[in-house]
Order: sequence, then C-alpha cells, then structure tokens
Amino acid sequence: MDAEGAGIRKKSREYFGFEVDDIRVIRVLTIDADLQSDQLKKIQTEIFTNPVTEESSYSPLTKGFDWLIWIGFRPGVRDTAGSTATEAIEDLLGKKFRPDQAVYTSKLYEIRGKLTEGQVRQIAGDLLANDIIQQWKTYSKDGWDAEEGIGFLVPKVILDHEPNVSTIPIQSDEELKEISHKRNLALQDRDIPVIREYFLRDDILADRKKVGLDLPTDVELEYISQARSDHCNHNTFRGLFKYHDLSTGHKEVVDNLFKSCIETPTLKIKQEKGWVISVLWDNAGVGRFDDDHYYVITAETHNSPSNIEAYGGAITGIVGIYRDPMGTGIGSKLILGMYGYCVGHRDYNGDLTPHLHPRRLLDGIIEGVKDGGNKSGVPTPFGLLLFDESYLGKCLVFVTAMGIMPARISGKSSHEKKTTPGDLIIMSGGRVGKDGIHGVTAASETYTEHTPAGHVQIGDPYTQKKMHDFLLESRDEGLISFITDNGGGGLSSSIGESARFSNGCQVDMEKVPLKYDGMDQWEIWISESQERMTIAVKPEHLERFMELSDKHAVESTLIGKYNDSGYLQLNYNGKTCAYVRMDLLESDFPQWEFDAEWIPPGLRGLTEPVINEPENHGDLLSAMLARPNICSRNWIARQYDHEVQGGSVIKPLVGKNRDIPADATVVRPVLESKKGIAVSQALNPFYSRIDTYHMASATIDEAVRRVLSAGGDPDHLGGLDNFCWPTIEYNSTKNPDGKYKAAQLVRANWALRDYCIAYGIPLLSGKDSMYIDGDLEGPYGERRRLSGLPTLLFTVCSVIEDITKCITMDAKFPGDLVYISGETKNELGGSEYYQMLGAVGLNVPEVDTEELWPRYVALYKAIQEGIVSSCHAVTRGGLALHLAMVAMAGELGMEIDLSPIPAASGLTVSQTLYSESCGRFVLTIAPEKKEAFEKIFSGMKIGQIGVVTEAPRFFIKNGKDKPVVDKDVNDLKYAWKKPFGDLV
Amino acid sequence: MNSRNSITPRALVLTGYGLNCDYETDFSLKLAGAESHMIHINELISKKSAGRAISLASYHILVFGGGFSWADDHGAGVLIASKIRQHLGDQIEHFIEDGKLILGICNGFQGLVNLGLLPAFDSKYRERSVALTYNDSGNFIDTWVNLKFDPESPCVFTKGLLSMELPVRHGEGKFYAADDTIKRLIKNRQVVLQYTDKNGQRADGRWPVNPNGSLEDIAGICDPSGRVFGLMPHPEAFNHFTNHPDWTKKKEALIRQENTVIPEEGDGIKIFRNAVEYIRSTYGPG
Repeated sequence: MDAEGAGIRKKSREYFGFEVDDIRVIRVLTIDADLQSDQLKKIQTEIFTNPVTEESSYSPLTKGFDWLIWIGFRPGVRDTAGSTATEAIEDLLGKKFRPDQAVYTSKLYEIRGKLTEGQVRQIAGDLLANDIIQQWKTYSKDGWDAEEGIGFLVPKVILDHEPNVSTIPIQSDEELKEISHKRNLALQDRDIPVIREYFLRDDILADRKKVGLDLPTDVELEYISQARSDHCNHNTFRGLFKYHDLSTGHKEVVDNLFKSCIETPTLKIKQEKGWVISVLWDNAGVGRFDDDHYYVITAETHNSPSNIEAYGGAITGIVGIYRDPMGTGIGSKLILGMYGYCVGHRDYNGDLTPHLHPRRLLDGIIEGVKDGGNKSGVPTPFGLLLFDESYLGKCLVFVTAMGIMPARISGKSSHEKKTTPGDLIIMSGGRVGKDGIHGVTAASETYTEHTPAGHVQIGDPYTQKKMHDFLLESRDEGLISFITDNGGGGLSSSIGESARFSNGCQVDMEKVPLKYDGMDQWEIWISESQERMTIAVKPEHLERFMELSDKHAVESTLIGKYNDSGYLQLNYNGKTCAYVRMDLLESDFPQWEFDAEWIPPGLRGLTEPVINEPENHGDLLSAMLARPNICSRNWIARQYDHEVQGGSVIKPLVGKNRDIPADATVVRPVLESKKGIAVSQALNPFYSRIDTYHMASATIDEAVRRVLSAGGDPDHLGGLDNFCWPTIEYNSTKNPDGKYKAAQLVRANWALRDYCIAYGIPLLSGKDSMYIDGDLEGPYGERRRLSGLPTLLFTVCSVIEDITKCITMDAKFPGDLVYISGETKNELGGSEYYQMLGAVGLNVPEVDTEELWPRYVALYKAIQEGIVSSCHAVTRGGLALHLAMVAMAGELGMEIDLSPIPAASGLTVSQTLYSESCGRFVLTIAPEKKEAFEKIFSGMKIGQIGVVTEAPRFFIKNGKDKPVVDKDVNDLKYAWKKPFGDLV
Repeated sequence: MNSRNSITPRALVLTGYGLNCDYETDFSLKLAGAESHMIHINELISKKSAGRAISLASYHILVFGGGFSWADDHGAGVLIASKIRQHLGDQIEHFIEDGKLILGICNGFQGLVNLGLLPAFDSKYRERSVALTYNDSGNFIDTWVNLKFDPESPCVFTKGLLSMELPVRHGEGKFYAADDTIKRLIKNRQVVLQYTDKNGQRADGRWPVNPNGSLEDIAGICDPSGRVFGLMPHPEAFNHFTNHPDWTKKKEALIRQENTVIPEEGDGIKIFRNAVEYIRSTYGPG
C-alpha cells in the first residue's frame, strides 16, 4: 500500500472530483557527483532501499501507468533530503563531495486512471506542485521514453556573477528617491533627507575618506533601509495619530502607540510584579518560572510568505519563531509552540480567485507547521483556526513559542547579555543564499532554469534542531556572551543591533559561508537565509565553541569582531564596503503620521437586527455546532506532536473521548518539578465590525478566562499582543477608508492599554503585522481590494504552583451541580448567532473588569482548594453552545434551568442562550462541595443552573415554560464533528 | 537506593542529529533507578565526552530514543541506521553478546529495524527483515493507545506487564513484514505488544485504535533473547500521573473515594524499571 499515493487520490477527488484508480510515488535521487559503480551499488542497497517495502533502480522503474508527473525543486530552494542524502553518502563511502557536487531529490507520480492531460496538469499544478518553488512536467503513456526517463535534471544554482559594490549618487533628495525606487532599496521618502545629510557631513566625509569611501555604497543604503523598515522599526506603532471622533468632534493627538499603550503600562506593571524579569528589548519576554528557571515567550506572524507558498511560509514561520527564544538572554531551550490560522472558507466557491484556494492554502499551512514543529522536537499543544472571507486577500499565520532557561549561568543572570570590544562574531547554522532578498521584486523576475527561487524559503527544522542542541551546550559551558537570531534583515540586523552594546564592529564579509558563489556584498549582508544565529564569543572560548559545533555537526564561522570604534565596518577581501556610524540609526528620523477618523457603529448605520424568538432551539443549536468556526477541527491537533518532552499536563483535546478542545494547555517544563505553565490564546475579529476597542477587550478577557479555567494564577498573567491590521495609510483611491482603519488601530491599542492595566498583564512580547490586504482577481478581469478584519491574537500565560491542582472543562460525574459564574447581558453584536442569521448587530460585548475581577480571584481559590470539578470559559457562540461542549466532553447529559441565571432584566430566551457577554464560566462541582463553593463566591453573580445527568440528554428549560432544548448529546456531538470529520 | 548487594545500572541515551526525546527518556531512566547519561552519537563514535573518555562497554542499557533523526529523510530510521552500522556496528554486537539491553522507542525502533538489530532471527543482527512504514492514514498522528503485552514473551522490559496506555506520535509506524516473517515472530513470542481497543480486545487493524495499520496490530517486538526491544509508543511520555489524558477525572474520582493520595508516577516508568531490575539481578553480585 502506498499511503502517500492514496492520500493524493483522496485529495484529487476532494479538490477536483477526479476519480483516479491508483497513484504510486517514486522517490528520485539525482546524484551530481562522480561515483563508481560499486559505490552506487553500495549506497543503493545500504542506504536508499528498504528491502522489505521498496524496490529501486538506476534506470526508470515506471511501468503500466497512464500518466506520469515529475516534480522537483527549483534551483536554490532548500532541499533538506538532498543534503541528508549527501551527508549519508559521504559517511558511508568515506568520501567528501566537492562544493559543486550535490544530491537532489524529486518525485515521480505514476497515475493509473482515465484522465485528460488537462486534468493531470491540474493535479500537478494545483495540488502537488507550487510553481514558485518547484518545477514539474507531465508525461503521457505514449510520450514517455522508458530509456531516457526524466533525464538528468540538476537544479544547481549558477549565478555567473562577479560580486561588486556600487556607489549611489546623492546629489538631491529626488535623485536618491528615484534610485531607491529603481534599485528597490525601499528607503522611505521621509528618511531620505536625514540620510543625505549624514553622508554629506564634513566629519563623516573625512572619516569615510580614511577607509577609502566617498559616496554611500549599496551595502550601506541597504543596511539603513533594513534598519528603518516597518518590520524592524515598528514605524506604524511608533507613529503620530491624529485621532478625530466624527460623532463627538473630539480630537486628540496620539503620539506613539507603542510607547503609550504598550511600553509605559508594561514597565509600570513590571514594577508591581516581581516575576517579570525582562521585557521590551530582547527577542522575547522573560518571566520567572521558579527560583532556578526563567520562562521565555514570544509570538510572530508569517502572513505574506504563507499566502504565496503555504507550506514553505508556514514551516519557515514556526521554525523562525523558534529562533527567538533560542536568541533570548543567552539562549533558552524550546518547550512549546502554538499556532493560529485565519483563512478564507475551505469550501469557498465565490467570484474571486485568490493566489491559492483556501483549502489548498490551509492544507499547506497545517502541514508546514506540522513538519516544522514536530521535527523541532517541540510540542504544539494549542492552536486556533478561524475562517472568514476577508482573509482571502491575505491569510494570517500566527506562531507562538516558549522556552525555558536556567536562571543563572556561571553566576550571572541568564537574561542579561552584551557584546564587549574584542568579542568575536560567529555565525552558526545554515549558509547564506539569495533567500528573502527584496522578496516582492524577486517574484516578478523571469525565471531561467538556474535562477534561485530564493524569495520563498523552506524552513529546515533538522539543521536548526542540531544548532539548538549545540547552543544550549555552549551556553551551559559559559561560552556565549551574546546571542541573537538572523531573521528579518539577516546579518544586517543581528550584527547591527548586537554591535550597539560594544559600540562598533568589523565584519569580514568574504568569510560568510555561502550556498553558491556570485552573491553581491549587499545581498550577503541582508539575506534572510534561515536557521542562522549570530553569537558573540570571547577569544578564549573560541576553540571550545568550535569543538562543540563540530560535535553537533553544525557549521560555525568566525566572521568578525566587536569593537568600540563607534562604527559598523564591513570589509570584503580587505576593502571596506560599508562604514556607518553606530549612532546614525538613533538620529531623529521623521515620525510617520496618520489621520485617524472614528465613526461610531451607530453612525455607520449598525443597529440590532429584528429577529423573533426561534421556535426550534434544539435544531438551531445543532446548526450552530456545525458552523465552520465552531465545529470540530480535531484533525489539526492530532497531527501535531503535543506531548514530546514528556511534560504534557493538559492536552489540546480533552474529555472522555479526548475530542473536545481544552480551554488552555498546561505543560510541566521541568520534569523534576510540580510547577507548570498554563497558556492560551484568543481571537475575536468579528467584533471589529462594531468597535475594535471592544474587540480587543473581549479578546484579552477571553484569553485570561481560558487560562484561569485551567487553574491559572490571576496574579501571574503574562500577555502577548499580536496585531494583524489592514493598511491604515489613507489613499483616496487605493485605501479610501484608511483613516477609519487607523482609528480602529488606535482604539484597539487603547483597549490594550486599559485592560492590561486593569488585569495587571505585562506585555512580555508582541508583534504588529500591517498590510493584511490583497487585490484579488474577479471574473471579469477586474481586481478587487480585500482587507482582512482588524485582528488581535492575544496570548496569556501563567505559572502554576502545583499542576495536580489543574482541571479540565469536561463534566466529570452524574449528579454534579452545574453553575454559571458571571452575568449574561443583551450583548449579541458580532455574535456567532447573529452571523448565522446574516446580521452584525450593535450591542458588542463590553468588559467591566472591576465587576469581574473578584469572581476571577474566587475561581482561583476554589480551584486551588479542589472544589471545582470542571471549568469552561463561555466564549464565541454563547451559553447554550458552551454548556453543550461541557456535556459533550464528559459524554454525559445536563438538565438546565435558565431562570436562576444571573442576567440583565428582560432578556429573551435566545438572548440568554446566545449572548457572548464576557467574564462568564460554566462550572461543575460535586454536590457535597456546594456549601464550600457558594461560600467562596458569596455575594457574587453566580447561579446554580442545573445538574449533570447519566443519560446523555441535553435538556434546557426556562422556569415553568415548556422545554427550550431537548437533544441527545451524541447527536449534538455528531453534528459538531461532521463538517471536517473526513479529514485526517 | 544502592545497597551493598546491587549495582547502579548505567544507561546511555543517544542524542543529536534531530533526535529529540532524550530529556524525558533520561528522566524516566533516572526515576527507574538508573544512572543515565545523554550522549551525542558523535561522542560515542569518538569515544570522548566533555574531554573524558567514554565507552559503550561501560554502560548496561543503550537507548535509541524518539525524534526525527536526519529529519526522517529517506525513510524514518534509515540514515541513523547507516551511521550507526558504519561506526558502531561491531561495538553494538558486542554489547548484545555481553548480555546487555537495547531499547528503541519510536524513531529508535525504526532505527533498530533498519540496523537489523530487530527481529534478529537466529541472532543475525544485521539483516533487515521487517519495516516500519507510512501510516495507512497517510499522516502523522498523536494519540493515546491501549496496548496488551504478551506475558509469554522473552522481553525483559515488559516482564509482569499485561496492559498499558501510552501515547503514539509518528507518521511511519505501520509494522510491515512478509507473511512468513510475521508468523515466525508470533511463534517465537517476539511480538511483545499489540494495539487493542479500550476493553483490551485486539484492534484487528481498526483505525484509530490501531493508529497506523500495523499488521497483526503489532506495536513492538523484541529479539529472540528478549534483551533488544523496540516499540512505537512512548513509555517515557507517561512518566507522571498528569501525562495521562484522563488524569483530571481520575483525580476527581480518587478524591470522591476520599482517597487523598494522588499517585505521582506514570505507568511508562515500569518498562524502564524492568530494565533496571534486570541489570541489577544479572550483574549484581547477590
């Protein structure tokens, strides 16, 4: 049986409705090296053929097919299996390949079945291959030459280019602007005068003359451009917002969202919370786990690359975020990863043509994070998936990572690091190629068979895992003075930023190991080739560091030295190609400015919908359970290893049949300890349709509640803010509602500020990704702009004193009492219920922390005292749905009476059932705990609303009225599981 | 617990090249009473670790743990087998001849079958005769499975065990071999553990209780001596009571029975403890 072939058959049916009889996959190795026939025989039998399950040959193996598809990589695309093959051959034969020799992998798919050529090409192009990283061919039965086969296709990169440095004239602002545009330097218009002024200064000119430089070089301008990019510098969040409320006329200038809404509150909270160790400067935030350990946490997005090449973008995203904890302090061990995907509907069949259909996009993203996470040896125990048509323009891929490190290494606190003059600059990990350079322009270049497809990358968790193990051992031996990763901006940003501590550096660019010859100096400097770290090592530690690098089969290269010259100096073969003062980037670059116009929802014409009371709440509940954003997506969690490292406490799926999503995940990162980390995330972009202020507050509250319901400590809530926003720069034709979107961003940040202060949440780390828009082709050749909903992914983590106190959300035993904590109000605006019935509404949930907080503290106490049997946060979909989830998880019934529910007066039954009011939990407790439970919550808004029953009957009544819902729990679960039930 | 009459069994957990369950495997061995060390494959080859000489011969238990050695490229466990055979093949055969123990978990099991250390009919430790190939589902799966052990098996790791729940986490765990090979394995009692349903009934290939389509529901096998053992499920991932998916309910049940003592250790440790006890009883002077 060929499992891969069977999988493709199944997808061909699902994607295109093609019936294929059989597909067989043949792995092809193309060896570009001079091996003798006995050597070929040896590697064939001893390595590459499993005698039990496989056959192999040096001539074509295909027979009896109707069609053949061949798929191989484009030149320069990371071919990990090719590298491991080379490694194994070298090891077995005791022979080293020359730099120009290599092994390449590709695949042949033998297809049996009645298909047309067009259909075969569709399978090849729209299911199996992605043109951006792969090349493919199809052969019919008759067109196949059994002697020749696919021929000898070698995707080797040949650049045939002599590296050179060019200088850029800076006569006038206009000229520099034009050159910047032409060369894709992406210098910002407002920065150009500052840059010109610098290069024209007399003292600078004199200094430059000493190293043989005059006009700025391309290397220098690329460096400045990288450092000033929105990605590295957060210009949007540091911008000046002129906020204007169009209903009240209120005007306000908001200077720097980052400072006012993130930095200032977080620093204030840091003063109050002794567990906050390090925030706002390093690759990730650091909190105290116990006296001997710190935990590390950070989050990122990888939207644009995933949108183009789903698998490559997503694997690069997860492997990339994993380098951040590795580069925090002097390095932490990875302990956990999480994911969040926002995409168009899987069965989208509307008018627009996204670059990749959401189904294929999502499949690719899921697979990328699977390979990246699993092969990193890091558990992936939590994740979210949200469908909305607005993400057809650009998908969102959130990735979050946590690490742990000893609190002290060689007597020093591990979160501290610096470079000092004399420290050596080492680059470890992968080699440098044209990856990620000016991604956008590369996409539009014409391909030749040897052009590197470098702008889309494929992360390599194997290389990185080796480096991870190596760096931890080096750290523990005290060999690392400073470490940071090479992500956006490559060496340019890792060395540029690390050299600020010592105040200068000198790099010998010719020493940087390259994937292939012929790269220009500026390309080497800003390449974003993955799996690389930059490390500062004292000269006396160099030998041991390199010894460990060898042991772990990791490539490390000495490429320069930190100094205190005040200059960043890059040389190539002894000649200086960049010489930039360290303080240039701290000079006064002009702040970005935005007009922000807020139009309140009422003025935008939003009202509550007119919907009479439904007569059949049972069927309505079943229908809601089957909605794409509510139903089971278990197939994703199951393909992610969520238990590696042996510390799994609360898994992604819980309950009797282990099939209902947990509120939060809990891990025990130090196996000798009973302490744990609880972490969860929330996403509520639908509320953005009404007011992003309340979207943000509801999202923060949900993430907090999820962590608390597992047993999280309200005194230790660390947060991550992860913004994905459409373009907010106003343009009368291209972005006519830019001012409104800018106001939405300001309001979300205000909520972030207000609620982090109210809950005492320091923002340990965060990320802002702007520009989540896409121009999609319509049926008439037109292109339509689609902007993603303003989205905030909020993460909350907490340290658990004793993991054995943790609880899960499933109802445990018949006879247990069902409680609700928190008030239900008329807050259905943006709700799942309204969305199902085609409305948005107006009454978006609002969060009153002063009112909620005492209940959160009481909940913590009740869980710590072992009084609570299960706890579940009521989130999207409302009370009926989440009561059903608790029953479904326990595979038990429930008898619920709505009348004791703490609720605003005058609520209808449907409002009670489907309101998404924040601050609420469903709890079950043993009857004998009733008194103790009610004592802890005395005077608070809780209500005993029913009991858990043995018979799996989900029954809701409202006082003495006739029953509202009467459903079999198994039927509800069936409805909930059905939509994606076939996916594995 | 070193009494005068017993030795402390020494265990070596291999690391490096993408292996990744070393930390919890090492922890589990220590819980079971072994002195355990995590040693990089290249250290074992060069016989040097942190400047000190090391040798495989000074250990009693060798563990090929889980992970993605060489990224699982060219078949899971294929390249680690090639590397080990090339550099450590003879040493490992001596290790087995000396009566010592080898355990392969998940990727390690895949490595052992590709090395030929399993099933090693007639003590031929270099012949590949069984395979662990792609799951029938075509995808990686992380799920807890029910297992039953063959009490008649010579396997020293599973002595006294009848059933256990453990997690599987793999994309290539389908046990496959020719009919006569399978028959011989069964006859020799080398099939140590098989997937079952919740009630302990054979899975008979049913997904997901048999998570990968393994022939005869085979989840692990040993060599004829019972001292070389490989399995797909992860005993080291059930090192603590709270690893079990139902632990919150089990805890609640214990509390309601007014049993306030919550257990600490996970069942998976029993497999490691058996190994440690075997070494103690074989090598101990008593």
